[in-house]
Amino acid sequence: MAYSELIKSFGRIRDYMREFYVYGFKSRDEYTKKSARSYDDERRRLQSWLGDYMQFKQTPEGKNVFLSIDSRLSHHNPLYAAWKTKSFTDGDITLHFILFDILYAPEIILTLNEIMDSLDRYLTSFREPRMFDSSTVRKKLGEYAAEGIVVAEKHGKTMYYRRADTVAFTNANALDFFSEAFPCGVVGSYLLDKLDAHDEHFAFKHHYITGAMDSEIVCLLFEAISGKRSITMETINRHKDKISEKHVIPLRIMISAGSGRQYLMAYAPRFDRIISFRTDNIVSVKLNEVSERFDELRENLDGMLPYMWGVSTTSTSGELIEHVEFTIQYADDETYIHQRLEREKRCGTVEKIDAHTSRFTADVYDASELVPWIRTFICRITEYHFSNKMLENQFREDLEEMYRLYGIDGGDSE
Amino acid sequence: MIFSELYSAYYNTVASVLKTAVRRPLKKNELREVIEQHAFGESVLNIEPALSEERWQLIRSDGSTPLKHPPSMPMTTLEKRWLKAIFADPRIRLFTDETDLLPDVEPLFKASDYSVFDKYLDGDPYEDEAYIKTFRRILDAIEKRYPLSIDATNRRGNIVHMVMMPEYLEYSEKDDKFRLIGSGWRHKRTLNLARIAHCQPYTKPFEANPGKAIQPRMCKVEFELIDRRKALERVLLHFAHFEKQAEKIDADRYRVTVSYDKDDETEMVIRILSFGPMIKVTSPQEFAAQIKERLLSQKSCGH
Repeated sequence: MAYSELIKSFGRIRDYMREFYVYGFKSRDEYTKKSARSYDDERRRLQSWLGDYMQFKQTPEGKNVFLSIDSRLSHHNPLYAAWKTKSFTDGDITLHFILFDILYAPEIILTLNEIMDSLDRYLTSFREPRMFDSSTVRKKLGEYAAEGIVVAEKHGKTMYYRRADTVAFTNANALDFFSEAFPCGVVGSYLLDKLDAHDEHFAFKHHYITGAMDSEIVCLLFEAISGKRSITMETINRHKDKISEKHVIPLRIMISAGSGRQYLMAYAPRFDRIISFRTDNIVSVKLNEVSERFDELRENLDGMLPYMWGVSTTSTSGELIEHVEFTIQYADDETYIHQRLEREKRCGTVEKIDAHTSRFTADVYDASELVPWIRTFICRITEYHFSNKMLENQFREDLEEMYRLYGIDGGDSE
Repeated sequence: MIFSELYSAYYNTVASVLKTAVRRPLKKNELREVIEQHAFGESVLNIEPALSEERWQLIRSDGSTPLKHPPSMPMTTLEKRWLKAIFADPRIRLFTDETDLLPDVEPLFKASDYSVFDKYLDGDPYEDEAYIKTFRRILDAIEKRYPLSIDATNRRGNIVHMVMMPEYLEYSEKDDKFRLIGSGWRHKRTLNLARIAHCQPYTKPFEANPGKAIQPRMCKVEFELIDRRKALERVLLHFAHFEKQAEKIDADRYRVTVSYDKDDETEMVIRILSFGPMIKVTSPQEFAAQIKERLLSQKSCGH
């Protein structure tokens, strides 16, 4: 098939965007699972959509292509562009604009025959007028009714069509903000596209834009959660490059502001447990029947939250609950360190022992999830205890390895 | 359906083309300009011939259109449902009081359907009327370009007074806070909105420093990464929001360069520390020295 800038489905480009944006160190030859032609096409598309952010680096293994974006400097997520690339036919676009010109106000209510007559009048002024048959137009109107932009109403045996009522929400500042700081923000970007150009007044710090690539999946998961429906989903194990099917009841989307990852918390009947799935590993979602257990399971999840630091609901030690505590010290002019513990803790308790010492304590399903956070206090940790002794040993060994890495493993100082 | 041609750059571009064409015939160079402005790098190669060859029968050969009205499309159900969801978010009050536009629409999701589980607990008070008033005043000042006279509480709890030309608002989801970035008499000023006790238009003559000073001072840190315990994926995702480059240097070792704002250097130091021995900073030396200093202090804590 000839190359086209537009695409029919999002799946393949989603993989390439992830590779180019998150990783970006692979050369063309390393994209072995796809054909060279496919690689060249996808790279060319991304170059066209996101040209300003595409970069190249020559390495001994070949030319590496990567996307480099400082999201703090962009008012809008550049990756949203990829969602605006759906292909269509010549007939689709012709019909779209003419149909909405015929149905230019909600008061215009017409039958299919009346629409067909009007349509022909629009097309006669072209050198070789297109001929649309009524079934094509009926199908298109049906699609638009499903999208909510056309209203189809039956009076007697005749179907009448009109455009849906207009909702005016033109607060560009609100859309600028929420399109970046709210789930499924790409929908806000669609709304912004309909507004006139305007000055942008917001910037975003710690702004992860990778979630944009999972918008379709997250949107379907929200559909399932709203409808309390179970789903069948395909997930990919990227290390084994294997796709498997799972039947679960989705309960909540959990988003990390600190890593940009999005997770589905869902009940998996196969394991009789609530577990997490990364949304970027979900390949497809199919909605099934309504689950009568949804409310009960959601309540169970709420009860689990005080024991979850992140999204893990099981330990590696086999203990149901793991205990973790650590103590830190700080100087007279560092009292903000105690405040850090208070504001950054997600569960557990913080205790001020004296003017220069604070202790954090928590009981969680998986204490390993706290380790990166505890490491941010390196330089002031005076004590640490994990009930999971393997984890405690690993924490200590990691510290020793860090000393070695920076050449301070000998005496007290270099 | 979230991936639909209804939202496509091509449809939006053609809508812009037709907006002019319903008023007067469009010249060929104007057509090209609109396409270049609204669509992608290569789109002109597709849209221009599709219209001029009348494959898309919307523009006649003389640049006129049979359409009679500027193109418009009602909101889709998806758009309405997403809007309904933002109307339930407390932050919407910062922008508008009109949140009852869609009484019969089901939100795409409710607040209980998702959570940002690691945002800090001392986020801004979005439902506080004084905070809302301050936010709206600042946004107005940014839009209309007038200076503000501000009283704010500093870290020690004292009220300080300042005058600045507000430039933009910066939001951090992790901190769950807005910051005002503006130009003072001489320097860039950054102020947490929640610290502002009072603000009003400054009516005396005010000349802020040139806008250049509010640009971030970009620095680079380079580190080597060893891919154990899925560190490669964790690190690259964690630093994904920065401008960065990664390069494979060995079977399981990578060199990563990340650009960051000098003002955020302490934060970068602790973010790098959070990856433990999977990351070793290689340059600049001053950055590596900060890591080393913290490790030395840690060693003196007895662990």
